[in-house]
Amino acid sequence: MTPIAYHALAAFIVLNAVILMVTYVTLLERKFTARMQSRIGPYYVGWPHGWLQPIADALKLMMKEDIVPTRADRWVYNLAPIAFLIPCVLIFATIPFAPGLGVADLNIGVLFFLAVSALEIVGLFMGGWGSNNKYALLSAMRAVNQIISYDLPFVFAALVPVLLTGSMRMSTIVDAQQGLWFVAYPVIGQLAFLAFLVATLAAENRVPFDILEAESELVAGFRVEYSGMKFALIQLGEYAHMLGASFLGALLFLGGWLGPGPAWLGPVWFIVKAMLVFLVVTWVRWSFVRIRVDQILAVSWKLLLPATIVLLLVTGLVVALGGPGGA
Amino acid sequence: MERNGSGFLTETGQLVRAVGRALGITMRNFFRKPVTLRYPDVKRAYPDRFRGVLALTYDKETGEENCIGCRLCEYVCPPQVIKVEMLKAEKRNYAKTFTLELYACEFCELCVQVCPTDAIIMLKTFDLATADRREMLLDKDRLHALGLEHDASWATGNRLRDMQAPPKPAKAAAGAKGDVKETTE
Amino acid sequence: MAQQQVVELGYGGNERLMMNMGPQHPSAHGVFRMILTLEGEAVVAVEAVIGYLHRCHEKLGETLTYVQYPSIASKTDYVAAMTAELAYVSAVEQVGKVEVPKRAQYLRVLVAELQRIASHCLWLGTWCMDMGGALGGGATVFLYAFREREMILDLFEALTGARLLYGFHQVGGTRYDLPAGWDARCRETIAFVERRIDEYEAMLQGNAFFLVRTQGVGTISRELAQEVGVVGPLIRGSGVNYDVRRAKPYSSYEDFDFAVPVETAGDCYARYRVRMTEFRESIKIVRQVLDGLPEGPISSRPGVKSVGQVRVAKGEGYAPIEGPRGEVGCYLVSDGGPKPYRLKWRGASFTNLSILPHILPGHKVADVVAIMGSVDPVFGEVDR
Repeated sequence: MTPIAYHALAAFIVLNAVILMVTYVTLLERKFTARMQSRIGPYYVGWPHGWLQPIADALKLMMKEDIVPTRADRWVYNLAPIAFLIPCVLIFATIPFAPGLGVADLNIGVLFFLAVSALEIVGLFMGGWGSNNKYALLSAMRAVNQIISYDLPFVFAALVPVLLTGSMRMSTIVDAQQGLWFVAYPVIGQLAFLAFLVATLAAENRVPFDILEAESELVAGFRVEYSGMKFALIQLGEYAHMLGASFLGALLFLGGWLGPGPAWLGPVWFIVKAMLVFLVVTWVRWSFVRIRVDQILAVSWKLLLPATIVLLLVTGLVVALGGPGGA
Repeated sequence: MERNGSGFLTETGQLVRAVGRALGITMRNFFRKPVTLRYPDVKRAYPDRFRGVLALTYDKETGEENCIGCRLCEYVCPPQVIKVEMLKAEKRNYAKTFTLELYACEFCELCVQVCPTDAIIMLKTFDLATADRREMLLDKDRLHALGLEHDASWATGNRLRDMQAPPKPAKAAAGAKGDVKETTE
Repeated sequence: MAQQQVVELGYGGNERLMMNMGPQHPSAHGVFRMILTLEGEAVVAVEAVIGYLHRCHEKLGETLTYVQYPSIASKTDYVAAMTAELAYVSAVEQVGKVEVPKRAQYLRVLVAELQRIASHCLWLGTWCMDMGGALGGGATVFLYAFREREMILDLFEALTGARLLYGFHQVGGTRYDLPAGWDARCRETIAFVERRIDEYEAMLQGNAFFLVRTQGVGTISRELAQEVGVVGPLIRGSGVNYDVRRAKPYSSYEDFDFAVPVETAGDCYARYRVRMTEFRESIKIVRQVLDGLPEGPISSRPGVKSVGQVRVAKGEGYAPIEGPRGEVGCYLVSDGGPKPYRLKWRGASFTNLSILPHILPGHKVADVVAIMGSVDPVFGEVDR
């Protein structure tokens, strides 16, 4: 098979797998949070555990009327969901699910991931602007503020494993964790993982940092004018980004596909670890009230950014003094 | 969030503890039994005094209709949903027509309380959902049929009035709450 | 009147955005419209528009008799129906000089305090949901609070047959007496609720996210509170010790030992503390009532036999009640017949809402919902 055909097939498979996983991860989240709130989540559709609920939701969204507000900027409005979805799904291109099993295991894998995942802001702002709606615009502006502020700590926290490994290639980072997962490194690992989780919460607009979609004030934020399939694309993008960040966390800190058992169990372990990160983020999401946007920015610039810079410098010092990794 | 060097660690410590406490409570609730009731597969037990759909009753011994068409319920109803026409007969009166607009009913139980013959009662069901509003305009036959189909609530006119009346010595000797023993659930 | 012109955004300093919040809004505690003038993210002016829930209660008070109206009275403050009915029947009893038997008074206190607990559960749940989002941590506290509120509503259902709008009070006493076994069930429920309140406090109290959202936000100074005339937890959170249950005791409240919480900070956190303490004090009162409930009739008038059976002598009067939101009362003018000549409702939320144009300017948009939640309005009371 020619390389192009091979890569096209791999991309197709990964894309479909990602979309399926994203759909079912919404069910996982709903059941998990329901239990935390003393209730059962979806159970009727796809008795007894609501297995068909995501399919029903997807079908419903596909069947809805496609409404475009009269004074919306048509091109910007219609392209925004796609511009939002593409980076969120593209990040999965660099994630290897097993040694050699991935679409493209770039030697700048982590850089590609971090750079592309930040591109979602463009789609987000397009959505907010194109909707011609004050609420949407307000939320989009808050979002741009927030995501830009938190991308820096996100990058710095993600760079700690890169420093400890000495390479940005994702499979190399996982291989370097054969002895000890990076999260288990004394102090540096735990702090970096914690900073990574907090930055993920903020970059994904999850409570306590979800001021941009604050249902009680902004009624879904920049998504407020979207319905039907466009809304589905935006939801897909959000959860795909969330899942991508979980996979990155599992890969950088929790040892990726490393785990007891035969080699073919690797991807399973990887998915389990990613789900674990996802569930921890969900757990935090459902336990706290949100904080105001100026307080969010204060946390980022006054607390998280200096902390991650210091962490990075300390990691560099450790590496220079003969710790693991190099370069 | 101002931070200075000396207070930083204590504040962070407090934050971590508070975060941990909140997360702990959420996780504790995770392991508790959910309180959801899977209605309509599972129905909960309604208390004795439940105020549900209204119905007309027959006398237990003679099988005659209890309603004497006195129209007290019509007069007392705050949203005026009851309309009664009296039919005079030799020994006692009857209701010729009795309509109750359930879609406007408040379920305040005043008609039940005022009824001298315990004719109109409320049932332990509220499940009369329908797609056609006209089915909620209950006429006399429908009301009697409902009374036969479902369990009646404990509250009838006489029992409620007995509960409210100051206890008379004779009644106090016989038992002030009426003839039927009432349970709570 | 609000201008229809909208000035589009700019950060030149003078360009302002007029944003409409409501009347259909996930956060407003009912149908309420606020026209906010924003400069960037800060609120500069507020224009509040009410009246979306006007249902002519005062006119209904003139057309319905004293027998029919109590169950309608519960629909003004539908979240705390017991205290709303109590306000009406207290006014009638005051004007008509009707005696209420001791047992009925104790039962009224019992249901009023249970209703206070249930109403505060709803307040906590909806406030946290506004601050945390329907899909976030706020919803968790909302569902927990409603889980406890449901237990109290079950108690009310066993007592009256209805869960939300009871029709429990009547002129001269109450309509229902306690069924068998209710006493034990009530004690169990409040013990359970008490433990759960400990959990809510643990979840929110030291939580930096919560504190940062509520401390220093929406501060009502003592002078402003007294000038505008807010009532209930709002004024007690600003340092004024005014509780109708102590100032003008009604329905045997003087027999019970309870504390009235007063905080001086005046911000959302102070009002939160006041209401959380009120939870515990209400539980104390409920226990005292259950322990000391006297035997006797539950009404000084016979049961309802006809629609016009209650006649009140000519006169007028006002009987205030401490509802969960503050002082609720009816001003009744009677002309000697079976219906009032004039019925005026004093709704606690109506005066509490009038504080908004004074405290909102200067805060950010996100604080608007936090402040609205801590004011805890119910629009049945506001619009009547």
